[in-house]
Amino acid sequence: MATTNRAPKLKLSNVSKEFTAPGTGQRTVAVADVSLEIQSGEFICVVGPSGCGKSTVLNMVAGLAEPSSGTIEKDGVPITGPGADRGVMFQDYALFPWLNVRDNIGFGLRHGTPGKELSRSTREERVGHYIELVGLAGSENKYPHQLSGGMRQRVALARLLANGPDILLLDEPLGALDAQTRLILQVELLRIWGETAPAEQRKTAIFITHDIEETVFLADRVVVMSTHPGRVKAVLPVDLPRPREETIRAEPRFGHLAEEIWGLIRDEAYRAIA
Amino acid sequence: MIRPAPESRWTPVINAVLLPAVLVIAWQIWAVTLPADTRAPAPVGVVAAFFHLAGSGGLFSATLQSLGRVLLGFAFAVVFGVGLGLLMGSSRSVKDNLDPIIESFRPIAPMAVLPIAILLLGTGTPAALSIVAYAAFFPLLINTVHGVSRVDRKLVQAAMTMGVPRPRILATVILPAALPSIMLGARVAMGVAWTAIIAAELAVGAKSGGGTSGGIGQMMFVFYAYSIDLNGIVVCMIVIGVVALLIDRFFRATERWLMPWRY
Amino acid sequence: MSSAAERQHAGPPQPSSLQTPVLQRELDATHTWQGPGGAKPSQITRWMSKRGVIAIRSFVIFIALWWLLALWVNRPVQLPSPLRVAIALGGLIAAGEVSENALISVSRLGISLVIAAVLAIPLGFLMGLRREAEAIIDPVVELLRPISGIAWIPLALFIFGVGDILPLFILVYVAFFQILLNTIAGVRNVDQRLIAAARTMGVGRWAVLRYVIIPAALPTVMVGIRLAFAAAWAAIIAAELIGAPSGLGFAIEWYRELLMSPKVFAFLVVIGIVGYFADLALRALQRWLTPWAQGTELA
Ligand SMILES: Nc1ncnc2c1ncn2[C@@H]1O[C@H](COP(=O)(O)OP(=O)(O)O)[C@@H](O)[C@H]1O
Ligand SMILES: [Mg+2]
Repeated sequence: MATTNRAPKLKLSNVSKEFTAPGTGQRTVAVADVSLEIQSGEFICVVGPSGCGKSTVLNMVAGLAEPSSGTIEKDGVPITGPGADRGVMFQDYALFPWLNVRDNIGFGLRHGTPGKELSRSTREERVGHYIELVGLAGSENKYPHQLSGGMRQRVALARLLANGPDILLLDEPLGALDAQTRLILQVELLRIWGETAPAEQRKTAIFITHDIEETVFLADRVVVMSTHPGRVKAVLPVDLPRPREETIRAEPRFGHLAEEIWGLIRDEAYRAIA
Repeated sequence: MIRPAPESRWTPVINAVLLPAVLVIAWQIWAVTLPADTRAPAPVGVVAAFFHLAGSGGLFSATLQSLGRVLLGFAFAVVFGVGLGLLMGSSRSVKDNLDPIIESFRPIAPMAVLPIAILLLGTGTPAALSIVAYAAFFPLLINTVHGVSRVDRKLVQAAMTMGVPRPRILATVILPAALPSIMLGARVAMGVAWTAIIAAELAVGAKSGGGTSGGIGQMMFVFYAYSIDLNGIVVCMIVIGVVALLIDRFFRATERWLMPWRY
Repeated sequence: MSSAAERQHAGPPQPSSLQTPVLQRELDATHTWQGPGGAKPSQITRWMSKRGVIAIRSFVIFIALWWLLALWVNRPVQLPSPLRVAIALGGLIAAGEVSENALISVSRLGISLVIAAVLAIPLGFLMGLRREAEAIIDPVVELLRPISGIAWIPLALFIFGVGDILPLFILVYVAFFQILLNTIAGVRNVDQRLIAAARTMGVGRWAVLRYVIIPAALPTVMVGIRLAFAAAWAAIIAAELIGAPSGLGFAIEWYRELLMSPKVFAFLVVIGIVGYFADLALRALQRWLTPWAQGTELA
C-alpha cells in the first residue's frame, strides 16, 4: 500500500508551533517536530487526546496559522496563507448565521476565488448539485439556527465541496453529533469523498477526531498524536478493503486496529484524567 | 395571601388601564378643587389644548421640524460612527490610536457641547444638528466596535479559506455579523438623539431670549416663558413621549426586517 | 420591555474596554507573514507600541491639530488655542470655581442617585417578584418612561423655579427608570433552579430573598445604577444649563454668555474629567459590592 515513488500531495517537514500568551509572555509548544507525507487521494485520520495540537496542525495546513519552524508544502510549493484549494470544515461548522442554506453553500462561489470565472447560472447549478448530494433539498431557505445538528453538518460539508478544493481539512466534523447520526454520516462522508470512484479521482482528506473507531472506519492511514508537546507518535496503515460498509465494524481486523490505536493512546488518556 | 381573581379575557386590559385611569381622574379632581384662575394643568385642559394645537397645525410642524433635525444629525452620526467603528473594529492600530481620544470625549455630556456649538455655529439649526450628531455618535461607534470585535473568528477564517479577499470579508462577513450590535447602537443612538434635540431646542430657546430655534422643544419653552400655558407644555411632553415610543418601535421593526435570521 | 443586557448599551459610560479587533487578529495570524520574514521589531518600536505611549502620542497629535486649527481659524472667541484654555483652566482651579461647581454637580448627582435607588429598588423587587404588582404598575411606567427627563424641565421650572430642586427632580426621574427596569430584570432572571435548590434545603421565604434572590439580582441592579448615572450625567448638564444657578452646566453656559471662550472650553474639559472619575468610582463600588460578577457580561 505504501506508495512512495509519487511526489506527495502534502509534505510537512519538521513543523513546530509555539504560542506566546499575549499577557504573560508564557510560551506553549503546541506542536513539535511533525513530519508527514500525504499522497494525493489519501484519507488521513489524525487522532489524539484533546489539546495535543490536532487543530493547530490543520490550521497550519489551511494557512490560518504559521509554523514557528519547519515547512509545509503542497505539490512542492510552500503554503503561505489560506486558499480555496484547501477547504476547511470547522469543528462547530462556522456557518454564517445570517445566510440561509443555499447562500451559505454558495458563499465561496459568490465572494471567493472558486467562482471567479463561473457564470451566475453555473454557480447556482453547482450549489443545487451539492444541496442534492448532501440531501438537503427542501431546506434551501432555512437559516442555520433552524437546522438540526446533522443538517448543519451537511451544510458545512456541501459548502466545503462546492468550492472544489483538492484537499479537504475536516476538524472533528462529526464531533457534535449523536452516535447514530454519526455512524450514518461516516458512511455518507466516504461516499462523497469518492470511495467508490477510482483512487486518482478521490480528494485528499485530513480528518481530525478523537473517536478511535471513526478513524479505523474512515482512514487509509491513521496518525496518532501524543500531547505535551504535540508529536506524531505513530502512523498506522488501515488495511481494510473499500468501499467500507457498516458490517466491517464486526470484523476481527477492525477490532484489532482499534485496539492497537487505543493501546497507543491509553496511557496518556488515563494520565489526563488522573 | 390574596387569592387571585379568576382570570378573564378582560383582566389584562383592566390591569393595564386601572392605575393610569385612577391617576388621571385623581389629577382632574385635584385640579377642580383649585381656584378658578389657576394655571395648573388638568386632563380636560390638556385634551382641549391638544385639539387647539393640533388644529392650528403648529404642533405638527414643530414636531416635524424637530424630527427632521434628529434624522439629519443621526445620518451624520451613522456615517461617522459606523464608518469609524468598522475601521476601529477591524484594525488594531487605528483602534489603539483613537481609543484614548474617543474615551476622553465620551464622558462629556452632549449638552455640555451646546455652548461651544452656539459659539461656533450660532443659535440656529446647525448648532442643534451638531448636538444631535454628537449625542448619537457614541452609541453608534461603541456598539459598532463592540460588534465587530466580537465577530466569531471562525467565520472570518472560513471566508479566508474560501479565498475571499480582505475588503470583501469586511462587507460579507464582518458587517452582517456585527449588524445586530450596530442596529442596537442605532436604536439607542436615535433615542439619545431625540432627547438631545429637545434639550438643545429648550436651551437655545431659554438662552437666546425667545430664540430662533423652533421645534417642539422651543414650543415648550415659549409656553413656559411667554404664554404660561401649562396644558400646552403637557401636550408637548406627551408628543415627545409618543415620538420616542414610535422611534423605538420603528427600529425594532427594522431590526426584524433586516435580520430575519434572528427571529 | 427590553432586557437588561440590551440596556447596557444605553448610556455613554458603558463598559467599554473594547476587545481585540477580529479581522486584525486573523490578519496577524495569516497575511502578515506572507512577506519574506520581516525584520524583528526593534526595542524602540516595541516601546512605541505600548498602550500608555500610544495614548500620550494620540493626545499630543490631537492637541497639535487643535492648535493648528486655532491658529488657522484665528478667531479666539470661537476657537481658543489649547494654551489659552490651559491657562484659563489653571485660573479657574486657583479661584476655586472648578472645585466649587464640580462639588455641587457631583453632590446633586450622588443625592439623586441615592433617592432614585431608594425608590426604585424596592419597587423593582416588588414588581419582579409579584406578577399582580407588575401588571398594575407597569402600564404607568411604560407611559412615563418614553418622556425623557429633559422634557420635564419646562414644567418643573414652573413648579420649582430656578434652583436646587429642579435638577434634583430631573435627575431622580431619569435615574429612577433605569434602576427600576434593571432591578425588575435582575429579579426576573434569577435562576429558578437556585431558588428551588434553596427550598429543597429547607430555607425559608425571607432567607431565600435575603441569601439567594438579592445577591443573584444585585449585579444587574448595579448595572442599572451605572446606566442611571450615565443618563443622569447627560441630564444634569442640561438641567443646570437651563434651570439652576450653579453647577458645571450653569458655569459653562455662564461663560458662554460672557463670550469667555477659554473658560467655556476649560469647563468642558472639567466636565469630561469629572464624568470619567465618577464612572470610575461607580465601577469601584460595583466591584466592591458584586465581586462575583467580575468577568461576566454584567461587569
Ligand atoms: N491561539 C492559541 N494561543 C495559545 N495557545 C493555543 C492556541 N491555539 C491552541 N493553543 C494551545 O495549543 C495546544 C493544542 O491545541 P489544539 O491544536 O487546539 O489541540 P486539539 O485540537 O488537539 O485539541 C493546546 O494546549 C492549546 O491550549
Ligand atoms: Mg481541536
